[in-house]
Amino acid sequence: MKDRIRFNVGGKIFETTSTTLANAGRDTFFGAMFDDDWNLYSNYSGEYFIDRNPNCFGVLLDLLRTGELCIPPNVSEKLLYREAQFYGLTDHVRAAKWGPIDGNRLSLSRSIAGRAPGDGTAIRGGPDGGCCVAHGCMVHVYDWILDEHPPITLDYQIVNDVGWIDPENIVVSACERLGRGDGGMGLFNAENGELRHKFQISHENQIKSFTAGALSFSSSDSHIFSSCKGRSNEYGIGVWDSVTGKQIDFFYEPIGWSLGDADKLQWLNGSSCLLVATLFPRKDNCYISLLDLRVKRMVWSWSDIGAPVTVDGRRVRDAIAMEENGSICVVNEYEDLGFMDLRGSVGGGVRWSSRSRSRLMKGKMPDYEPCYPKLALHNGQLFSSMNDCISVFCGPDWMLTSRFRRSDGGSICDFSIGGDRLFALHSEENVFDVWETPPSQITL
Amino acid sequence: MSDQKRRNFQIEAFKHRVVVDPQYADKTWKILEHAIHEIYNHNASGLSFEELYRNAYNMVLHKFGEKLYSGLVLTMTTHLKEISKSVEAAHGGSFLEELNRKWADHNKALQMIRDILMYMDRTFVPSTHKTPVHDLGLNLWRDNVIHSSNIQTRLLNTILELILRERTGEVINRGLMRNIIEMLMDLGSTVYQEDFEKPFLEVSADFYRLESQQYIECCDCGDYLKKAERRLNEEIERVTHYLDAKSESKITNVVEKEMIANHMQRLVHMENSGLVNMLLDDKYEDLGRMYNLFRRVPNGLSTIRDVMTSHVRDTGKQLVTDPERVKDPVEFVQRLLDEKDKYDMIISLAFSNDKTFQNALNSSFEYFINLNARSPEFISLFVDDKLRKGLKDFSEEDVETVLDKVMMLFRYLQEKDVFEKYYKQHLAKRLLSGKTLSDEAERSLVVKLKTECGYQFTCKLEGMFTDMKTSQDTMQGFYASQGAEIGDGPALVVQVLTTGSWPTQPSPPCNLPNELSTLCEMFRSYYLGTHTGRRLSWQTNMGTADIKATFGKGQKHELNVSTYQMCVLMLFNNADRLTYKEIEQATEIPATDLKRCLQSLACVKGKNVLRKEPMSKDIGDNDAFLFHEKFTSKFYKVKIGTVVAQKESEPEKQETRQRVEEDRKPQIEAAIVRIMKSRKVLDHNNIITEVTKQLQSRFLPNPVEIKKRIESLIERDFLERDNADRKSYRYLA
Repeated sequence: MKDRIRFNVGGKIFETTSTTLANAGRDTFFGAMFDDDWNLYSNYSGEYFIDRNPNCFGVLLDLLRTGELCIPPNVSEKLLYREAQFYGLTDHVRAAKWGPIDGNRLSLSRSIAGRAPGDGTAIRGGPDGGCCVAHGCMVHVYDWILDEHPPITLDYQIVNDVGWIDPENIVVSACERLGRGDGGMGLFNAENGELRHKFQISHENQIKSFTAGALSFSSSDSHIFSSCKGRSNEYGIGVWDSVTGKQIDFFYEPIGWSLGDADKLQWLNGSSCLLVATLFPRKDNCYISLLDLRVKRMVWSWSDIGAPVTVDGRRVRDAIAMEENGSICVVNEYEDLGFMDLRGSVGGGVRWSSRSRSRLMKGKMPDYEPCYPKLALHNGQLFSSMNDCISVFCGPDWMLTSRFRRSDGGSICDFSIGGDRLFALHSEENVFDVWETPPSQITL
Repeated sequence: MSDQKRRNFQIEAFKHRVVVDPQYADKTWKILEHAIHEIYNHNASGLSFEELYRNAYNMVLHKFGEKLYSGLVLTMTTHLKEISKSVEAAHGGSFLEELNRKWADHNKALQMIRDILMYMDRTFVPSTHKTPVHDLGLNLWRDNVIHSSNIQTRLLNTILELILRERTGEVINRGLMRNIIEMLMDLGSTVYQEDFEKPFLEVSADFYRLESQQYIECCDCGDYLKKAERRLNEEIERVTHYLDAKSESKITNVVEKEMIANHMQRLVHMENSGLVNMLLDDKYEDLGRMYNLFRRVPNGLSTIRDVMTSHVRDTGKQLVTDPERVKDPVEFVQRLLDEKDKYDMIISLAFSNDKTFQNALNSSFEYFINLNARSPEFISLFVDDKLRKGLKDFSEEDVETVLDKVMMLFRYLQEKDVFEKYYKQHLAKRLLSGKTLSDEAERSLVVKLKTECGYQFTCKLEGMFTDMKTSQDTMQGFYASQGAEIGDGPALVVQVLTTGSWPTQPSPPCNLPNELSTLCEMFRSYYLGTHTGRRLSWQTNMGTADIKATFGKGQKHELNVSTYQMCVLMLFNNADRLTYKEIEQATEIPATDLKRCLQSLACVKGKNVLRKEPMSKDIGDNDAFLFHEKFTSKFYKVKIGTVVAQKESEPEKQETRQRVEEDRKPQIEAAIVRIMKSRKVLDHNNIITEVTKQLQSRFLPNPVEIKKRIESLIERDFLERDNADRKSYRYLA
């Protein structure tokens, strides 16, 4: 049979067909055995020896045969991943392990104990399923098999935010230390934690040190945005090119408004605008605005200055723009969701959606330190964290459809969705959870 | 213990030393390097892919990725240098073939090397931001082969030389060219552009500059355009065969600029073969070619259009101002139509019905038709001619096309009301003399005029048709009720014309012969009996009569004459000789009309039923007229026309003109009042523009006349001058 091929892997004989091998795709070990028309090169007739682990080879061959990953107990998962990397089948393994994220079908995959207890600052999922966790002045980096890489520090300054540029590069924003010119913003190699580039800001052609706050990225024109505070009141939003690393713009904070202290930046691809939100308690008031950097103008703004203080003291604690709906979703400390219209240039009032849960919750505070709610949006699903659980809202009216929690670890101080995984960082014991959606079963 | 005996103890940390082969990396690299050599030497079949892949994997895993990568760069560079030498050594024509062969080899080798080093390519390369293996291979090829000093210029020159040869008609190996050009494209768009496209475009520009210079000296315009078109197609074909598709617009631009744009004026104005000659000779093919080529260059079409416009205007102007042409109105209009047809054909066949050309043509016609103030009259005369006799053998559709063409000319007229005046006169004559050929055609034209100019324009014309119809009914009624009393006397046909609808000139009725005047009285009393409150006055100047005459030798003829002529002839029933004075007294026909009618009775050869003494053309007061007994004619029926120019005579023209001007006055005033009623206050200049705009469809009002009308309206308290601004007028309700 021309189609059949015989492998001797580490002494064990495997037989398979070229069609099975072709499932591996072009950019793999097996892909290199085919010519341009997907015919096996003739010199692979007979037995073909590969000096690798036969058990893992069997699992991976089954993956190519069925598209499913079944790891028998005698095979180490880690070794399997190494072998997959050798053959160039990492993407196949990843796709077989978890599917596209669906907030209503999440299951807990792993819980990783952190290095230091106490408040975590941020957790960010990477594009390939890895993640990085910032707390204090350190950033810990984990790859997709949740192996830890060398940690990142920026002159051991307090880290304010982190973000992935691509699977190989991480940006860290940190506080500046008085008079030393360190801190600021740096680009790091995710693999080995080396500092690749330090971003600089110049005001009136002079390079100034600064404190970098919240980060955001635009994938379409590869810009990096950060809220910045300089010593001589140079507050505002800095813009850099992630390819050249050069500063390309600076949007100064208008008087009576807050940009440089922002808690959250969000790049909106559709309208090419940047959402900037500075929220209580960092400032006494909440400021949410949309910047159009091409025309250097604030095209939409809302603030709660002068709004009557309610009895229960509801304040906006997080905000997220939902471009498809033309609205901004906000959340208060009781996890009440509120909505604001993005059309027009000035935000009207917040329409709070009344939910019974917040009423029930009131009064009986959990026995651990609460954390402020956070929001995330993914594929038309709205995620909101409160205490130790994450709620999922779907549909045009944003109905609660799912809620998931892990019993221990304290409240969730930050969570993030990336690489089709959801990462939740708990405030106590610095433990973080990885949630995945199982791959959809092949139905016959 | 003494000091020297005291020993420094050093406790070494426990170390588990892993002894590795210090030459591991070198050895592994040697294997891989050897493999790369073998691949380049076409000995790959003996290599084990698995072993090489594993070795490369191990090197990366053990942190020798850098060594592996730099080793690859070095080895590949060495090989490419050798390749470069062997390509350099190739002689003459084999140079490109050698380069192509080596390029294919390199690509194959590169694919294999990439497979072996796939692990490095997937992990080490992205994390260190290095160039991936495949791109590296292309870059090294570019730097070491294509950009080597002995190859770069030679390659370019060879390619350009081949293209030049192909341009001069030789057959070259297009497959080879395509491979080489594709190689340059694979190396990146900048390589293709810098190393080939830019010089190629420059050389092409020089080539075509020279060639176009030669052609323009020795070819006529049509041949030149043929050659330019062929060159353009050749270049487009070249691009599809072996150049980057993006080059098409660039190279065609070069050809267009060098062969067309630079010689545009000269081509268009070329003596004996330029655009004007093509237009004159209806060279559709050449014109189409010129259009298609000139369309590609900026200002190309406007150049053609301008020349065509000025040519049409010049010839048109000659046509309408040529005193010879003015003598025959029908011929004059026919010429205009022919001219229009000619250019319509050119625009539809050669200029792909380009709207801008049609507009230019229309504006040219509008320009020169209005140069001759008599154009409206002539067009009406043309219609008159066609409707009288010209359309005899035409089918219904043909009639429609002729009428449509007339309408098209009509559209060009600025003084549409003048046309209306004439048309009315001519139509009246046609209707009254019963000469109109087809009622259908008449009505169809009126409908066309109506759609063109509105109800107002044609309501009087329609009134004329209605009058004709009612007259028929009236006559039937008259004979039905009075027939018995009338007996065998002369038959009377009366057309009752509504005053105002018809272009009648008040003229005193002449004395009718007795036989008729009684009949007329009967009709008058019948008509007034059936219609109350009406007044009838006879328009004897517009009637016709058929009379039977017997001449000397007994030959009988039926004479078709006007009412006036009939009155004159009837006098000769009782006398053989009458003087002018006697005739005038007896008939009371106005002097000018009488002279005309006597002229036509006595002075036209072959139709002279009277003899005049003395025999001369002009009629004197003392001339005498005799019955011409010897009159003969081949025909039984003899039509005796009135000696009257078909065209208007000079005083008549003046008169018509005056009446037109008179008619315009109320129209201008109405327009002014309409405008001021809605605007209340308006300054002078704006009134002029608005009035002109409103009346454009009928005529082009003279600003001086508008001013006069405004003044008249002020006098009559319709308007007043604004007190603050003397240039503005105010509407008085």
